Amino acid sequence: MAADEMDGADSSELLRAPLVIEYPFNRTTGPVVGAFVTALRNRTVLGIRDTSGRVVCPPVEYDPRTGAPLEELVEVGDAGEITSWSWVPEVREGQPLQTPHALALIRLDGADTSLLHVVDAPGPDSVATGARVRIRWADEPTGAITDIECFELDGGAS
Amino acid sequence: MAGNRVAVVGVGQTKYAAVRGDVSLPGLLREAVFRALDDAHLTMADIDAIVVGKAPDFFEGMMMPETYLAEALGAVGKPLFRVHTAGSVGGSTAIVAASHVQSGVHDRVLTIAWQQQSVSEAMWALSFPIPFQQQLVAGAGGYFAPFIREYIRRSNAPDEIGILVALKDRLNALKNPYAHLHEPDITFDSIRESFMLWEPIRYSETCPGSDGAIALVLASEDAAEASAASSGVPPAWIHGTAMRSEPATASGRDQVNPDAGKECAADVYAQAGITDPRRQVDVVEMYVPFSWYEPMWLENLGFAPEGEGWRLTEDGTTQMTGDLPVNCSGGVLSTNPIGASGMIRFGEAALQVRGQAGDHQIDGARVAVGHAYGGAAQFYAMWVVGSEKP
Repeated sequence: MAADEMDGADSSELLRAPLVIEYPFNRTTGPVVGAFVTALRNRTVLGIRDTSGRVVCPPVEYDPRTGAPLEELVEVGDAGEITSWSWVPEVREGQPLQTPHALALIRLDGADTSLLHVVDAPGPDSVATGARVRIRWADEPTGAITDIECFELDGGAS
Repeated sequence: MAGNRVAVVGVGQTKYAAVRGDVSLPGLLREAVFRALDDAHLTMADIDAIVVGKAPDFFEGMMMPETYLAEALGAVGKPLFRVHTAGSVGGSTAIVAASHVQSGVHDRVLTIAWQQQSVSEAMWALSFPIPFQQQLVAGAGGYFAPFIREYIRRSNAPDEIGILVALKDRLNALKNPYAHLHEPDITFDSIRESFMLWEPIRYSETCPGSDGAIALVLASEDAAEASAASSGVPPAWIHGTAMRSEPATASGRDQVNPDAGKECAADVYAQAGITDPRRQVDVVEMYVPFSWYEPMWLENLGFAPEGEGWRLTEDGTTQMTGDLPVNCSGGVLSTNPIGASGMIRFGEAALQVRGQAGDHQIDGARVAVGHAYGGAAQFYAMWVVGSEKP
């Protein structure tokens, strides 16, 4: 059928039906990510030392550049510094905080890489690259990244 | 065979199990990768390119896992290629990896295939009722059972053939430390009395669902000789590779003895100079997820005349003590991480001609066939490996 003929067809006459796909899966964590989330349940944060001596946090099982196995888990601090951030002015359902907040990359003390998390701050003027932040732990940790409820500005608004 | 010579110089397998809850997905693959590299006396840094294959993404709910896995597989800064051909993917992936060497572009290629069946119910993951399409909500066994029935009708094979295949493969698995199912108490009667899943397929004539991975290192002639000199283990030289496929629903298609399988076998034998596979092949690893596929594939791959394959099962020819041992590793009936199962057949064939199969080694095996099939018995992959250069 030529394209101009198709354009003239009444598409409302064509049958349509929904296809909804729902299917359950599960995941295993392994010895490194498993140790990381288990430590979160105990309100500590682990990184891992890579082959160049850097501490990677969150930890990975293998060197990101060479693929070599990594095993030396290192406890890092519960405070650190913002290395980059973005402000979320209008909150929608399902977001990690129900008040305006920052999404930020945070390098914890003792780590050489940053992790992505949420900063509870009064407004974008109070957030800055280089600002110090500290973990606010969830009341009932379960062994998940959300055991870190969010970060707070360390010492109040900067 | 076209192209430069290529050989298998490293084989690494994980322990296969229903649930490998002790490892992450990257960790599972790396268990196989480092064993293969150790076998080849190589490191990740020596590898030029990586070729991976797995069953459809929906089996594990992870789209394009090859990108996520690049760092874990040592692929940073190197070519990384993904192959998709349903259940035959392990075989197809090894063939694509071999072609990377045959082309002369790479000297050492790492290839990996895997599956974590524990992550979902793979049986049903592709069985969604898609509007306006033919429904296949039968599970794999339900789909294949009518073709097995038809095989039995055509060949007049006795009912016990399926039981004999299952008993052989499960007992062979006891000699393979990596095999998933180790059932020392299995007997002919226990298989016969296991419940009927999809008549004529009983529970104990059906493959398990496994977690696991296999990795192979393929090398060019010079690289293979260097690895062998270092490791002291001879290479498995690849004498031929072939893939064929046919549409699932083509009218007039014979799903009992599919043309694509026959043509795949004819092609790979021609490359390997095999004119009488029954006499010239020492050991076979074929893809048998349901017991009756042993006699069916014996015919499809030219090891027996049409209608006569079951006789090789019945008279013990396919036992480890017979003159055409089939699935000494225990086969898919004992271990089935679907995406890996084809490459396990190819890798086990290589182990046999390298003399590295341990307790399930066939003494003096010189020529071995690895075989995989997938989809609605529509995708085929085979290779022939030998202890001598082609």
